[in-house]
Amino acid sequence: MQESTPLTWEEVARVYGRKIYNFAYRLTGNPDDAHDLVQEVLLRVRRGLANYQPGSFEGWLWRITRNAFLDEIRKKKRRPTAPLPDEVDRWGLAKTESADEIYDRINLGDDIQKALLELPIEFREAVILCDVVGLSYEEIAQAASVPIGTVRSRIHRGRKMMRESLS
Amino acid sequence: MTHPSELISAYLDGELVGDEQSQLMQHLGGCGKCSAELDDMQRVRSAVRSLPILELPEGLISEADPVVVPLRRNRGVWVGAAAAVVALVIAVAALVTPPPSAVSVDDLSSRFGARVSLDPAFGPAKIVVPEIAVITE
Repeated sequence: MQESTPLTWEEVARVYGRKIYNFAYRLTGNPDDAHDLVQEVLLRVRRGLANYQPGSFEGWLWRITRNAFLDEIRKKKRRPTAPLPDEVDRWGLAKTESADEIYDRINLGDDIQKALLELPIEFREAVILCDVVGLSYEEIAQAASVPIGTVRSRIHRGRKMMRESLS
Repeated sequence: MTHPSELISAYLDGELVGDEQSQLMQHLGGCGKCSAELDDMQRVRSAVRSLPILELPEGLISEADPVVVPLRRNRGVWVGAAAAVVALVIAVAALVTPPPSAVSVDDLSSRFGARVSLDPAFGPAKIVVPEIAVITE
């Protein structure tokens, strides 16, 4: 995590471009939307760097990225946001077959991407920021402007939903 | 029994604080359900982390390059300015050009004739009458 680092636009693009693209791709599920999202993020980074206040650079960067994604959703309404469930059945993980059996019989890449896309956006972004981008819970909390406890809950509930999708 | 379910993912991610870890370990020792959930969460977590890292599409960064983008935008500005200048010239020309006066057929004929006589390229006026085929039965 970089702190108080006034990177140039070129450095941000070079250092974080691939991460942003992977986040965008897993979030949107297709290369065209990911391409557009990365361009929009880099444009916003360029505008934002002039006024960047020293702090958690990654928190700032990922906040820009997720906001760009949410704005795109609002504008295009391509992918309606699924509402957060009021309550998740925490103990509904009835195991009818072993986890090894499940993961042996599925095509991991496609099925995992599909399971990610089925998650509510708030859960999806938390899981992707954690497991794809590699952010800490604190960084995810800064990016999403929510308490760490909410991040913890979203990640766990998101993984449980994925487990249900993949079974 | 209270199941500290949400501690499981945080444990896997190394995000437990204080005595949460010992609390979870103690619970897992006596709870098969949470132990099974720990296994499930571990597998889902590993699966997402095993997704391939994608390379940036070629040219994506340069397309968003601030050095290039303004040029593209300026090109649009220049095209617009040029179009505005052309429109202005046309408008001024229309204003300063007097409207055509009434011209008689004779006047047109004399003008045309003068041109023919002055322009050697036209040469003498010549009327070509095509031969008419006569069809006989």
